Amino acid sequence: MPDELLHLENIKKYFGLRGGVPWRQAQAVKAVDDVSFVVRKGETVGLVGESGSGKSTLARVATRLLDPTAGRVEIGGVDVTKVSGRKLRPVRRKVQMVFQDPQASLNPRQSVGTILTTPFRAQGIRPTKIQLVELLEQVGLSAEHLDRYPHEFSGGQRQRIGIARALSVQPELLVCDEPVSALDVSIQAQVLNLLADLRDELGLSYVLVAHDLAVVRQVASRIAVMYLGTIVEEGPAAEVYDHPAHPYTRALLSAVPVPEPGAVRDRIVLTGDVPTPISPPSGCPFRTRCYKAEDICSTKRLVLEAVAGSNEHKAACYLPEI
Amino acid sequence: MPDLAWFVVRRLAAAVLVMLALSFAVYLIFYAIPADPANLACGKPCTPDRLEQARHFMQLDQSTIQQYLNFLKGIFAGRTFGDGTAAVHCNAPCFGYSFPLARPVTTLILERLPITASIALGAAVLWLIIGVSLGVVAALNRGRPLDRLSVGFALVGVASPSFLIGLLAILVFGFWLNMVPVSGYIPLTDSPVDWAWHLVTPWLVLAVLQAASYIRLTRAQMMEELNLDHITTARAKGAGEARVVLTHGLRGALVPIVTLFGLDLGGLLGGAILTEKVFSMQGLGDLLISAVAQLDVAVVVGTTLFSAFLIILANLLVDIVHGVLDPRVSHG
Amino acid sequence: MARPVLEVHDLHVTFRTDGGLVPAVDGIDFAVAAGETLAIVGESGSGKSVSSAAVMGLLPGNADVTGEVLLDGRDLVGLPSDELRKVRGNDIALVFQDALSALNPYYSVGWQVAEAYRLHHGKSRDASKKEAQRQAVRMLDLVGIPDAARRANSYPHEFSGGMRQRVVIAMALVNNPKVLIADEPTTALDVTVQAQIMRLLEDVQEEFGTALVLISHDLGVVAEVADDVLVMYAGRAAERGTVRDLFHRAAHPYSLGLLGAMPRVDVPPKPRLTTIPGSPPSPGSISTGCPFQPRCAYTERVGERCITERPELTPRPGEGDHEAACHLGRRPSDA
Repeated sequence: MPDELLHLENIKKYFGLRGGVPWRQAQAVKAVDDVSFVVRKGETVGLVGESGSGKSTLARVATRLLDPTAGRVEIGGVDVTKVSGRKLRPVRRKVQMVFQDPQASLNPRQSVGTILTTPFRAQGIRPTKIQLVELLEQVGLSAEHLDRYPHEFSGGQRQRIGIARALSVQPELLVCDEPVSALDVSIQAQVLNLLADLRDELGLSYVLVAHDLAVVRQVASRIAVMYLGTIVEEGPAAEVYDHPAHPYTRALLSAVPVPEPGAVRDRIVLTGDVPTPISPPSGCPFRTRCYKAEDICSTKRLVLEAVAGSNEHKAACYLPEI
Repeated sequence: MPDLAWFVVRRLAAAVLVMLALSFAVYLIFYAIPADPANLACGKPCTPDRLEQARHFMQLDQSTIQQYLNFLKGIFAGRTFGDGTAAVHCNAPCFGYSFPLARPVTTLILERLPITASIALGAAVLWLIIGVSLGVVAALNRGRPLDRLSVGFALVGVASPSFLIGLLAILVFGFWLNMVPVSGYIPLTDSPVDWAWHLVTPWLVLAVLQAASYIRLTRAQMMEELNLDHITTARAKGAGEARVVLTHGLRGALVPIVTLFGLDLGGLLGGAILTEKVFSMQGLGDLLISAVAQLDVAVVVGTTLFSAFLIILANLLVDIVHGVLDPRVSHG
Repeated sequence: MARPVLEVHDLHVTFRTDGGLVPAVDGIDFAVAAGETLAIVGESGSGKSVSSAAVMGLLPGNADVTGEVLLDGRDLVGLPSDELRKVRGNDIALVFQDALSALNPYYSVGWQVAEAYRLHHGKSRDASKKEAQRQAVRMLDLVGIPDAARRANSYPHEFSGGMRQRVVIAMALVNNPKVLIADEPTTALDVTVQAQIMRLLEDVQEEFGTALVLISHDLGVVAEVADDVLVMYAGRAAERGTVRDLFHRAAHPYSLGLLGAMPRVDVPPKPRLTTIPGSPPSPGSISTGCPFQPRCAYTERVGERCITERPELTPRPGEGDHEAACHLGRRPSDA
């Protein structure tokens, strides 16, 4: 489809664990296990899940920071799965990444000006000072910040610099990995509003990787819920939040506390922990913690199927809620 | 534990390979130097005929590879040089034969080892105690006089050459104050008291020199450990300061200290060359130095390999102990 | 409110640094009664964690603490370290944010819980290793560690994040303290695990009647478990009241800003989140006026007073114990 910015097809990403003894087989951590995922122009897709769900790994595969073990990565309709090295640069121009910890992702020895110049250089461009100042102003900073160093900024400002750096090559898609989780609530709101403004002004699309479901609800038009390396549910944000079909999504949403004292909530408290991605359960990966699990759930791995009454909203469950 | 056993087996196999490679390298280096052991053995006047005889007797007339293979074979099966009544036997494990000293290298090493081991082990105990306790004291008094004093002491230790400190100690304690004997070694089995009395100065000298790095390491590790959250937890539980520092703080600093200790000790057991020389003790270091001076290649190769073996062994032990001390380390 | 077990009066904490004196907590008061939960809310640098460390006497040597920390009427400030040691972990215990770093990696979890027990049972027979171990297993079982007797021999790194936080809670509760201070106990955890841990804290509180001081930045968690709330900003109390006071009748512009800035999962999103412009002041740079004034949207209505005069906590008329430190008399939303 022409308006597909990012198309991931049957992506698998396994990380090798060396076997300690020769007779023990080398184990693989199945961080992402057969995931297909599409981002269209103008969309903000929220990728949610708990730690170990594979959402960050998927984001890194999408930006080609990691090579997939199997599957296809298409960016702007071009298959870039096998592209590497210098040839990746035009691809990188289209898709940029914003990281969780601006402290760690900005070189402390470089001034903001240098940090912002680097991506231009990689594209073979020498930016003018006006271009750099424009970038800073886009993210709510100003010309006076150009010669300062990352440590002179607050966490929120550093995240703005990270966003400005990503914007420097005029990407079409920003993949943001937990962009606000290291920030205080009041600062978090500023950055979320900034992301929304940039979307409206520049026509950007986003993949927003986050564990905070409230944050994702605020900005996402569509969401995908990951559990143990697979997408268990995806669809338009409003539908998934108001009518979750997968029991995991339901439990996840019900666990989020709401700033409303005395609110009566039908909370599903899951028992146990997420199983290890080295040997995920057979069949449905969620069945070991699912409050609805039946024998059938262990039989076969499910694919995403449209939920009754909708074609955009899909879930991978034998016993969906709706 | 099967993981640990497998780890040890794997590391031992690797150690054997390293030793083989090392022995080959050492062999090549020392037999490539332009010193002909046969020349030394044939005496003066040395006729070409007698030199040839000596060569043949010492099996130096064979190719270098063949000599090396003979050397390896000797380790497992022993060797015999010459034949008939003139034959010289070197029983397995034979790490070469010293013709100038007319003894198998293995015997020489075993004779000297107790002396070096006495020096090294005694000093090690001392420097560990001095180094770690001063390091802890320094860490607890960061920036205050006690810290400055410990760090200064460490600096002196690091900066001083052992012969200087050693000679100074002999001069002060041995001659001026006449407190301790200045040289010589009494075997432990003869008289434990004399043994210790003769060793006290070298122990102290070595300990002062070595303690320096332990003070600095312990200080740095402790300052890091004491800043960790679980130290606050220990205080929040109601642990007293001594318990916080020793049970919780020092426990974490132990791993790097033990690592350094193992490697230092392994290195020192191969011969404390300068210290032995200064205190006139005939340890392994002394054996090596004399052998170098006399171009006694067989002894040089044997002691070098023995030192290397000790260091490899120390590394292995350190890795095993590391796993015992830190539950997070997996030997898988 | 029932008679409080923990009362803090006029607590000040000042750090002596190379750059001079840095006030971190500038006069706060709070109290919590048995079985009740007080939440201290604030962003990083607000002084909420410093306050809890001050209550426990866990601040480093360069911190000056003044004021009163009354535990059952006994002042802990200035208590000799040996006396304080007997209180810590016994009458008042602490649960940290990051359970992995809060636990000692070199000892088994059973040993660590047992240590907390042994430290407060003297040299009597109660303190025998066997009894301590028995108590540790009992506590680990109580906080929901499956197969506790066996798992007691495991090391912290062998547990998941949620299980580790359970261990920390077991360690804090083994001596049945009167007050439990939980500093961001679920921030490092996934949301489904957070729900488990919050339920556990509520359960043990109910069972033992522990007074809970919950330090959190997450207003959702606060709304769910707190009875009373103290909102801190720049080392001072901005607002204090019951949880309903804060969420239904917030009186301080900062509290309102926080509530507006928080995205919600249960209702369709607003087009834009309300934001508080700027960022919190760095400690030590506090002016004579209201510390929130540079970021406050209402300061123009009040005028000069916000810059010249520091607002004190004042009761809201007709709202019981609800207090706010703001010169704006009316509720901001009505203003």
